[in-house]
Amino acid sequence: MKEIVRERRLLNIWILRISIALCALLIAIGLIIFFVHGSTPILVTPSGSLREMIQTSIHGSIGLHASAFLDAAIIVLLLTPMARLVAGIYVSARVRDWLYVGIGMLVLALVIVGVIAGQSGV
Amino acid sequence: MSASLMVMVILFGGIAAGLVGSLTGLGGGMIIVPLLTLAFHLPIPEAVGISLFGVIATSTGAAPGFVGTGLSNVRAALFLQIAASSGALIGALVAHHLPARLLFALFGIVLGYSALMSFMPKHTDVAGAPESSPLALRLRLASRYQQAGHWRRYQVVGVIPGFGIMIGAGFLSALLGIGSGAFKVLAMDRIMKLPFRVSTATSNFMIGITAATSAGFYLSHGDIPPVIAGAIILGVIGGAYAGGHLVRVLPVDILRKLFAAVLLLVAVQMLLKGLVNL
Repeated sequence: MKEIVRERRLLNIWILRISIALCALLIAIGLIIFFVHGSTPILVTPSGSLREMIQTSIHGSIGLHASAFLDAAIIVLLLTPMARLVAGIYVSARVRDWLYVGIGMLVLALVIVGVIAGQSGV
Repeated sequence: MSASLMVMVILFGGIAAGLVGSLTGLGGGMIIVPLLTLAFHLPIPEAVGISLFGVIATSTGAAPGFVGTGLSNVRAALFLQIAASSGALIGALVAHHLPARLLFALFGIVLGYSALMSFMPKHTDVAGAPESSPLALRLRLASRYQQAGHWRRYQVVGVIPGFGIMIGAGFLSALLGIGSGAFKVLAMDRIMKLPFRVSTATSNFMIGITAATSAGFYLSHGDIPPVIAGAIILGVIGGAYAGGHLVRVLPVDILRKLFAAVLLLVAVQMLLKGLVNL
């Protein structure tokens, strides 16, 4: 049990450190590109839906577009609390605490419903 | 103002938000929304959406300090998160159908209340419950934490009222772009009788997931301009990091009251913008 608790703490700390460092790095790259090539329209225009953001992140990063790196950073940040949640579900499953596996899955479903509801323009 | 200069100013605004948020304990969201709406005239849904990402950044940045301590009650967090995420989902859906003036007025009231609370005497631990309620027993919410080298057990009560407050906390978080940490701690500490340090650590875990529920909505709805959001997030990460270190060397009590007084003025301005569209 102690081993599993330590495993959960290490998992969480690494998720947090890596995601914050990656997020800051991607934003720094994106803002540097913006300062070099920046223009006003890109400043105030949202990238569009999440699906479009993922597509522009992949294609735009090859062409060194500022918004591609910034979109990627925003997605990394959004996924961080979800990763902590998944880590919580994983540890509950390791100790066969099925009630909290179910509760964790329900919470994860609510987060995903939020993304889908926004996408459908409700 | 040129685009580059504006981004620089927003970046410094983000640093200030992270710094003041961590020094006052009010969180970055309370500062980001007024900054983006009053100073940069962003529409309030965009400001709220960006602020929610600032909230995730602040909560993620502060989290390693809580994770290693073993203070957070993961079962309580997961169970109460059903309420907080449901409230956040409703808040995000409702926010896009409410008039901006109402959101400004509501923000002014919540910010004013939070700033006023900063002048109140410091928190004292409330007495723990002698035994857990039947529902808390069924959910196995009672746990233990380490204090001064000793393990202390605590019991949990008031699960249903605590759950209800969490729905409200999630709703306000999504509507106004704030962490609602004060409301989450209130539910766990005052109502459910969790020790204050356990409530604070558990709240940190929950704030990120609550903000992610509604931030995902705002993001996929197309409300997040990446350059402004990026500048704010990077600024908040830097400001909160610096604040975490400065809190040990600066006269925080005096600063907290000083910043709270400034935020009280900002609250009045937000309220006026809502009421008379100033």
